[in-house]
Amino acid sequence: MSAERITRREMLKRLIVAPIGAAVLTTLEVRQASAATMQPYYDPYFVAVLWEGRTRCDSLWRSLKGDVAPILPAVQGATPYDRLYWTGYALGSAPVNVAMRVWARAVDHNGVPLGNGWRPIGQATIQTPPQRWFRVEIPEGHWDEYRLEVRSATPRLVYSRVIASQGYWKE
Amino acid sequence: MPVRFLRNASELADVSMESPLPVQVANAKPVPADTLLVATTNMFLSGERDLLGSTSTELPTLDACGQYRKLIWFYFRDGAAPTNYRVLARATDHNGAPLGTGWQELATGTLPGGANSWNRIDIPASGDGYYDQYRIVVERTSGSGYSLINKIVGVRG
Repeated sequence: MSAERITRREMLKRLIVAPIGAAVLTTLEVRQASAATMQPYYDPYFVAVLWEGRTRCDSLWRSLKGDVAPILPAVQGATPYDRLYWTGYALGSAPVNVAMRVWARAVDHNGVPLGNGWRPIGQATIQTPPQRWFRVEIPEGHWDEYRLEVRSATPRLVYSRVIASQGYWKE
Repeated sequence: MPVRFLRNASELADVSMESPLPVQVANAKPVPADTLLVATTNMFLSGERDLLGSTSTELPTLDACGQYRKLIWFYFRDGAAPTNYRVLARATDHNGAPLGTGWQELATGTLPGGANSWNRIDIPASGDGYYDQYRIVVERTSGSGYSLINKIVGVRG
């Protein structure tokens, strides 16, 4: 692999001088894995962003949306998705020590939960040096609603995004 | 001739395994998951019956499921009474008639979970399904009656 840094002007000159190279690009085979990785940055298709935002963590169990009402989901409409990925970044100069847990439940045709409470999917403690990214994979998919909760003895802000992936057909 | 592409707005990079082209997936469609059943089973009744309450052993609980790789059975039970379950499946012909009588048993056991618990059972537990018909039967073997609230989702991809 090699790369060089060029200006926009130089890039335009090269494209104009070598249009055949550009034509070759359109028919070049690429790895499917690469396509899947890049997809969310272009057009959410089989990867969807379910939630994105900031959570103020404190000593209470809060959902990513900040509420402490256990009845409320953090994400809804997750039925089609095989798995969810929660990626986050905690602000602050102290080491990150955030407890997290994930709940899930199913709803009926009217969107009403089948019963009270939630199914516990898992829980863990996120421990990283300050200002590092973390990522949590939630492999138990196809539940309709999830509640992701965080708690930290040291108050801090967590910026995070929850995305979900689903299978796809190749035509 | 090496093929190069623009990376990070101002950087030309050779195409390689480590630096693949950023592309969009074309000729692909997301596969939705379908809700196939939402039903409450009366577990105050005794005897083996399917999730829809039927005791007729030849009646499927779910039909026309051939397109689904697997089914996911979500349920909420408000009682803890010991309950057996069986998951049965079979294939049909082009007219929708079963190829024969009876069923193939995919799974059997004691229904997991206590009172007021959420649970899930993947059908089949491993490998692919693609059966046309399923019959899911439950039977409370002792204890007090309760309600079993079910949802089944069909997953294609």
